[in-house]
Amino acid sequence: MSRPASLELQAVRKVFFPGTANEVVALNGIDLEVPVGQFVSIIGSNGSGKSTLLNTIAGMYPVSSGCVLLDGVDVTRQREFQRSRLIGRVFQDPTAGTAPSMTIEENLAISFMRERRSGLRLGVTNRRREFMRTHLEPLGMGLEHRLKAQVNKLSGGQRQAMSLLMATESEPSILLLDEHTAALDPKVAATIMDLTAKMVSERGLTTLMVTHNMELALRYGERLIMMHEGRVVLDLGPTEKEALQVSDLIDMFHKVAGEAFAVDRLLLE
Amino acid sequence: MEAIITSGLEQGLLYCFMVLGVYITFRVLDFPDLTVDGSLPLGAAVTAAMISGGQSPWTATLAGVAAGLCAGFVTGILHLLLGLGSSGSAAANYGAKLLAGILTMTGLYTVNLRVMGKSNTPLLGLDGVFEQIEDLFGVAMSGWNLIIALVALAVIVKYVIDWFLRTEFGLCLRATGDNEQMIRAMGTNTAFTRIVGLGIANALVALTGALVAQQQGFADVGMGIGTIVAGLAGVIMGEVLFGERSVSWVLFSVIGGSIVYRLLIAVSLRLGIAPTDLKLLTAVLVVIALSIPTVRKKVVRI
Ligand SMILES: Nc1ncnc2c1ncn2[C@@H]1O[C@H](COP(=O)(O)OP(=O)(O)O)[C@@H](O)[C@H]1O
Ligand SMILES: [Mg+2]
Repeated sequence: MSRPASLELQAVRKVFFPGTANEVVALNGIDLEVPVGQFVSIIGSNGSGKSTLLNTIAGMYPVSSGCVLLDGVDVTRQREFQRSRLIGRVFQDPTAGTAPSMTIEENLAISFMRERRSGLRLGVTNRRREFMRTHLEPLGMGLEHRLKAQVNKLSGGQRQAMSLLMATESEPSILLLDEHTAALDPKVAATIMDLTAKMVSERGLTTLMVTHNMELALRYGERLIMMHEGRVVLDLGPTEKEALQVSDLIDMFHKVAGEAFAVDRLLLE
Repeated sequence: MEAIITSGLEQGLLYCFMVLGVYITFRVLDFPDLTVDGSLPLGAAVTAAMISGGQSPWTATLAGVAAGLCAGFVTGILHLLLGLGSSGSAAANYGAKLLAGILTMTGLYTVNLRVMGKSNTPLLGLDGVFEQIEDLFGVAMSGWNLIIALVALAVIVKYVIDWFLRTEFGLCLRATGDNEQMIRAMGTNTAFTRIVGLGIANALVALTGALVAQQQGFADVGMGIGTIVAGLAGVIMGEVLFGERSVSWVLFSVIGGSIVYRLLIAVSLRLGIAPTDLKLLTAVLVVIALSIPTVRKKVVRI
């Protein structure tokens, strides 16, 4: 099992369709250091590069320039499946984190395999079923009695709880959450958010959580980052965060966005 | 009447390995693999060439299956190479899958001609596996005896696939077709699982080719035409008629679908439809099946 790890990004840039009319600078020089076990909330407007930031850390596509370090080790050149042993992810779409036509037990068996190469042993054994039940029970959704149910028969909240369990099963070094409660109705979202906080604190996971909900960003995590146009424009520690209200955050956001707008205009003129 | 039933069963069982292969590509891997039109005659060509070259039919059959395995690997590798520069959109991804299969299929036409040295290799007077079984057990390998032997083989193959799909590797393979992004995030090299899956599927298709060649007494370079559509017809009929409540069950359904399809063909032939008209008939059948809303809903994944 891996221990929680530190994360470091050095001058990371990501440009989509470089050199074409469709060029998009999604990340424009990100420097970020996250110590072991820190829970960071990330906010920012649509298209500010939050998802791209997480995708880049996970290695979904190569960076244009810069480095990504996990526990001081440069993983920039590693492919996604190579660094995945260190990284757990949950996406906004509840269908993204599980294989829909496979059963609950088959999905969980897959997450158990992350530690090592899969072989020709049976994926689901009775011993593993026992283990799965003890892990499903704390979710409080009764899934421990439905091991043979296909995942596409579950509700969005249940699927997202499964995704969260699968992402954290092998004790990843880093947990990346991309608006993972945004597609759920408020009550279910709150349940999933409580589960998240519990898992993160129990395991001391280094966590990056993107959210568009400023209240969540203030309530959870000991650090808050705001992104705008591919840059980190605000970075608040626990004490600064404590004193903050949602309205303060909105003011700061408008100030930053407004300034960027003014600079843009200046450059154009 | 009995002749129609035995010939339908026989053909359905001979071709069920091909239909299982098509099920694995289309359904398990979500990969519409056109290689099969080339890997079926490849299995036949390799087996026939080796038997007529004096090899044991068992070795020849294994070699035919191994050739199919390699053909699947080639398609998987081509797909990987074609997909590297793609935008990753679903449409582009399907395009790469179709193109990879078409390229292999086209290349295999030449390979098959080269393997046989001509367009048709007769096996007249030469022992195939069926004749060897006759010698071994002293029973004629035709009619119901042949059907029983093929049922035994189909059941064994079914349970091996079933077991394989429940192993750790098998789960990763299924997840590759079900939610590739997720299984990649779990640390699986999906290019590898896909290559292995395509190999296994085409090995099954080649097994049908090898057995058909020995049963009909010749291999022909044109015998693979329409394999993909016949395979799809078998998969769809199996799923619709016998259901798909679990992977284990659907493997039986697909074998059943293959048998029903070949029974229909046997009946059509008996009704006087020319063998050369069967391909169009099959294509029309698949189109009609797809126009039924409930069938369409099941098949729309294709
Ligand atoms: N795979 C991609 N291909 C091309 N452009 C992309 C891709 N992913 C993101 N972008 C672009 O990069 C910018 C940042 O997007 P994203 O990181 O998704 O923003 P956020 O998650 O903050 O809303 C947007 O302009 C978006 O259109
Ligand atoms: Mg986003």
